[in-house]
Amino acid sequence: MKMSESTSSSNPTRREETAGLMKYSTENLVPFGPIHPALKEPEYFKLVLEGEKIVEVIPRIGYVHRGLEKAAESRPWVQNMYMFERTCGICSFVHSLCYGQAVEELTIYKVPKRAKYIRLIIAELERIHSHLLWVGLMGHWAGFETLFMWVWQDREIVLDIVETISGNRVHKSMNAFCGVRRDMPENMEDHIVEKMKYLADRARYYREIIDTEETMLERTQKVGKLTADTVEKLCAVGPMARYVGIQNDVRLNDPYSAYDEVPFNIVTRNEGDVQGLLRLRLDELVVSADMVSYAVKHLPDGPIRVKIPPTIPAGEHSSHCEAPRGEIFYYVKSTGGRTPDRVKSRQPTLANLPAALEMLKGQTIADVPIVLTAIDPCFGCMDRMSFLDTETNKQWTWSGEQLRQYGIKYYKNRR
Amino acid sequence: MSEVFLQRVEECAVNANTKPTQLREHETLVEVEQQYVKQFISKVWNDGISRRLSTITGLDLGEKIGIIYHFWQNQNTLHVRTTVQKTSPTAVSVVDIIPGAILYEMEIHDLFGVTFVGNPWMDKKLLLPETWPDDLPPPLLKTSKSPEIRKRLKLEVE
Repeated sequence: MKMSESTSSSNPTRREETAGLMKYSTENLVPFGPIHPALKEPEYFKLVLEGEKIVEVIPRIGYVHRGLEKAAESRPWVQNMYMFERTCGICSFVHSLCYGQAVEELTIYKVPKRAKYIRLIIAELERIHSHLLWVGLMGHWAGFETLFMWVWQDREIVLDIVETISGNRVHKSMNAFCGVRRDMPENMEDHIVEKMKYLADRARYYREIIDTEETMLERTQKVGKLTADTVEKLCAVGPMARYVGIQNDVRLNDPYSAYDEVPFNIVTRNEGDVQGLLRLRLDELVVSADMVSYAVKHLPDGPIRVKIPPTIPAGEHSSHCEAPRGEIFYYVKSTGGRTPDRVKSRQPTLANLPAALEMLKGQTIADVPIVLTAIDPCFGCMDRMSFLDTETNKQWTWSGEQLRQYGIKYYKNRR
Repeated sequence: MSEVFLQRVEECAVNANTKPTQLREHETLVEVEQQYVKQFISKVWNDGISRRLSTITGLDLGEKIGIIYHFWQNQNTLHVRTTVQKTSPTAVSVVDIIPGAILYEMEIHDLFGVTFVGNPWMDKKLLLPETWPDDLPPPLLKTSKSPEIRKRLKLEVE
């Protein structure tokens, strides 16, 4: 672990170089991360502390950067679709959807209507599963283990439905250019509608719990405060923009797939804290469940796929979709060959990172896990957190579990 | 809706000495010279033509490196494209106008070697490993080949 910045803070020339960062004489520098392969993805945050308060956060990402954009340039168009699907292990489908839409626009072929509905159903099921996973994790980090267990049990229902439709739980591989690879199974309609109703009821029940349960209220209210102006300037997307009242939702603003035909209400909150994010995502669960029910009932007949040639005409196009975490963006450039000239992919967590760093400022160490989880990041790595006191040069390390316990104890003692 | 958007972009483009091209319905491209980029983007952002920056894309165009700023507002998409010379890849940073662009600029700095003047974190790496050799060209340039990168990075690890 690199300590050069912190240990050299007594050196005056070094201090000048990092002016603005090293302006407090009493600050501590806390390296947060980066590596522990056991827990999701590794990330590294340098936390500059003043006492217990965080004054500055410097991110260092890329520990799992595998060069997909470079790899895409040497692979056939269709192979890239399934490679990009493997970018994420939670919101995998929306990656292939977004990449597929960008490529489809370069061709003369149109997506059949039935395929558009099936795409919407899978995308919304994925949102439900992703949001449930997140609510469970929030419970875990706040010390509310029962919520975690309940929510993850309900998540199995969605995963089972996804498995029945696509054959896989996580990497569905449902998309193809101008269509989907598998049709909806027969006689599933009533089953899905019934399960969606059950999940919507559960979401309403969880909403009641987090509104009344003291542990959750104490850990989340007035934590991670941001204003609408800051969020807009920092280009945050999805729930991170909607929780301060900005109507930022690609499904509504720029409808794709069948989102212009399926009625839904966009959810926004005005609290601007982690509690608002919890309420927002639980309300979105109900909306998504209703959308799936509607789409299953109104599924049009017809073909599910149009076959297209392996070469894509020259040109460039961009596409964006609403992933569970916010806007996802793909840009493709073709020179008319069998492989792309350039593919650019931007994931919502990168867009939300500047806002998350802003949320952390002014919080205490005890709030770090819950605030970092609140943006629903594609990273974990709470497992290694080393502390360095620059005045005494004392250094110690906490595991993720110790950090979690510290957070819970901190709030217990405050009562 | 789309016409109003195009008209407003046209008004901005006059000052930047350029003209917008309509690629498709709801999709507009503006090619801006490097010296006008900041002025143009500041106008687009501050006048509220678009308050949403999707991302910044880097492109290898042979002699030059292309930089595209992707904006959107409702159904309208605006691509602002500029180029810098590969021999002296220096571009102007828009971080003081759009603070959220900081990580996108760092990404292009890592992967294409473009230096954004005015970005406070240009000295830091975002995606590439700390062990990335200084004499190895940025990975997303067409001249940079995957086997070569793998070979060099493996040597660094050993």
